[in-house]
Amino acid sequence: MQTTNDTLLSVRNLRISFFTDEGEVRAVDGISFSMKAGETLAVVGESGSGKSVTAMALTRLVPAPPARYVGGEIIFKGHDTLKMSGEELRKVRGAQISYIFQEPSTSLNPVFTIRSQVAEALELHRRDIGIVDAEVERLLALVGIRDARLRMSDYPHQLSGGMQQRVMIAMALACNPSLLVADEPTTALDVTIQAQIMELLKELKQKLGMAIMLITHNFSIVADIADNIAVMFRGKIVEYGPTQRVLRDPQHPYTKALLECIPRLGAHKDRLKTINHAEIEAALKR
Amino acid sequence: MALLEVKNLKVYFPIMGGVIRHKVGEVKAVDDVSFIVEAGETVGLVGESGSGKTTIGRAILRLLEPTDGQVVFDGQDITRMGDSELRPLRKQMQMVFQDPFGSLNPRMTIASIVGEALTIHFPQMSRAARRDRIAELLRRVGLKPEHMNRYPHEFSGGQRQRIGIARALAVEPKFIVCDEPVSALDVSVQAAIINLLQDLQEQFRLTYLFIAHDLAVVEHISDRVLVMTQGKIVEAASADEIYQRPQHAYTQKLIAAVPKAF
Amino acid sequence: MTDTAANPAALAAKPQTLWSTAWRQFRRNRLAVICLGIVAIYVGVFLYAESVYWFARLRDIVPSYKVADFAARNAHPSAAHWIGTDFAGRDNLAQLIQGVRIAFEIAFLTSAILIPLGFLLGALAGYFGRWVDNTIIWLYSVVDSVPSILSIISISYVVGRGMKGIVIGMGLVAWVGLCRLIRGEYLKHKQRAYVAAARALGAGHLTVMLRHIAPNVLHIIIIVFTLAFPRFILTEVILSYLGVGITGEPSWGVMINDAKQRLWLGVWWELGGATAAMFFLVLALNIVGDALRDALDPKLKTAESSKA
Repeated sequence: MQTTNDTLLSVRNLRISFFTDEGEVRAVDGISFSMKAGETLAVVGESGSGKSVTAMALTRLVPAPPARYVGGEIIFKGHDTLKMSGEELRKVRGAQISYIFQEPSTSLNPVFTIRSQVAEALELHRRDIGIVDAEVERLLALVGIRDARLRMSDYPHQLSGGMQQRVMIAMALACNPSLLVADEPTTALDVTIQAQIMELLKELKQKLGMAIMLITHNFSIVADIADNIAVMFRGKIVEYGPTQRVLRDPQHPYTKALLECIPRLGAHKDRLKTINHAEIEAALKR
Repeated sequence: MALLEVKNLKVYFPIMGGVIRHKVGEVKAVDDVSFIVEAGETVGLVGESGSGKTTIGRAILRLLEPTDGQVVFDGQDITRMGDSELRPLRKQMQMVFQDPFGSLNPRMTIASIVGEALTIHFPQMSRAARRDRIAELLRRVGLKPEHMNRYPHEFSGGQRQRIGIARALAVEPKFIVCDEPVSALDVSVQAAIINLLQDLQEQFRLTYLFIAHDLAVVEHISDRVLVMTQGKIVEAASADEIYQRPQHAYTQKLIAAVPKAF
Repeated sequence: MTDTAANPAALAAKPQTLWSTAWRQFRRNRLAVICLGIVAIYVGVFLYAESVYWFARLRDIVPSYKVADFAARNAHPSAAHWIGTDFAGRDNLAQLIQGVRIAFEIAFLTSAILIPLGFLLGALAGYFGRWVDNTIIWLYSVVDSVPSILSIISISYVVGRGMKGIVIGMGLVAWVGLCRLIRGEYLKHKQRAYVAAARALGAGHLTVMLRHIAPNVLHIIIIVFTLAFPRFILTEVILSYLGVGITGEPSWGVMINDAKQRLWLGVWWELGGATAAMFFLVLALNIVGDALRDALDPKLKTAESSKA
């Protein structure tokens, strides 16, 4: 693991388990990876892989019962977030590390206007802003919302899914975070809107130079935007490397299988390949 | 004669408003749609959210009332049939639903869920015969018959979808509307379910109307594809044609938006 | 067919109904389990009291709690009378025990009216909608707009005083709460895919309403019953206090009403005993009811919650 000066995030041997009636479920089972400033990392996996838990764990957002942070470190800008106090964590959340989630319609509060929700993000972390409205307008324009001034007084239900997601991104960017964690940001959106949002993220990445951790199950959307890919399966990282290498020359059988079972436009297959999870799991144990 | 003929189908939903609630407008969910489905083929219906594709599926099965137009199934006009007339026809057309978690009654065992179809349409079947049939259906979709006494929440999403498919097959239908059957599933599970649907189609000579928003999936499984947007069908062609020579601007936009990573 | 076979699931040893999951969650709440024990004790007392009552009635003898002994009236608690005697020398403890009987009888009989009425009307309103819904909403709004005590008293004047009046009166008033809840649940469940699936199979409206949706709203009835029980007890006390309640049998309301008159004599144990007996049952039921609501709340396992 390189620890050069511009290492933004370094996760070492992270282990998180859920303790339920049926016993211990190892959601994250000893993973390590790092991100440099401005880097985009895609964490790809299916459900149960632990990718969302990893993302939430960065600022201890995983509810601690029923989960437990069993071990490991998350070093963000030199400090271990797992050992931070509540106060310190609140300063990190939203300001240094911000999140956007899958369902924008449920992440936005239906009884507040767009303006007040974006403004809240500002008020929490940037008290120095003189005129909040101007900043809100700037942020909304930044994420590609036309007529930002008019749109500010709209309520979430008056916006389409794509627009709602743009508002979420604006809220996440309000405080110039160093790391933006996007957990399946386009899964709930139509494919045309998905393309637009991914374009937007690429633009913002170039303009603002922030690091992005993109959690998804969809390999296709990461090809354009990610520098590195980490493939997760049952709580472990089974493959980790530069995007093009992982996509063109996957090493791990799971990655290979996952890439092969995706139906591709124009591929003319008779049958789709499937994955035998039990086999992969058995192979992992060896 | 086509198995299913949809002629000028319109499904409009009223928008109520005002102090004395009355109709102030309409949502034209399905706006003058016509197409046919021949026996044995798979017709894919692709569109984004709000295009009306799900509404069409439900209207065909008379889970919704069409506002206008005709649905002709196997030569019979079923558009305005009453419940009792429709019941025997329900043996021939079924639906597989999108939501593996909501489409199974959480308080019923798998046996009851799959067996209900048998209770309604083959009431003279003995208990033992019914159990055997349920076991057979579960085997066909790749599940273990011993699981029939379990409850839906004990299974994964992919398994629940298989149960839904078993339920649809129980009545031995000719025609199945698959309403986004794999959208809520993991990629690897999607592949398995799609393969299953294709296998079943061969074994039982089924006809599918496959509704989805994922163009790649639709193109893979369909013989012909219908592209919908805002309640209208804008293009209809064979699966190959749609991909290689899209005519309509919207189809081209859709294809362009599909991320091609590799 | 290996690639189309579903991966073998790690299923638990026995089929897990949602009820068993709920029970396990309930068990985790220590306080609730203790209160359930308290309720169970009361149930035991109820059964005993019923046997005393019927034994005496069938044999046509005076039951022990009605034995008057004027020489020993207003006696202090003693070995013979653990909570003393009332103004007629009747044993207070025996009367309290009968009070348990009456409280339970009222709860069960009232529920026998309230539950079918509330459930049926709520189900019809929620499921069919439109004019059926409008009519039922109108109906319960009207019933609900009259203060319930007044309604109950009026009904009991018509039907006859005493137990019959109270039970019918409360039943005809309390169904509204259940009806609203059931209606909401039916509205919600009607949209679910499993209902569409049942309709697609050819199930008729009644089948869907009763066989498919009803089991999913059963938990509401249980919770409503548990939380309404204490309200019935308290209503009976108020009615007896107002003089329109039970006569002839020692309900807690009657006991409290009688006992208050002797408070100035320094005779507090009768009032204290009745109040305490009532208090513990009401408290236990409320706690159990809340715990039930938490445990039975069907957190339908959604895709999100089963993904890591």
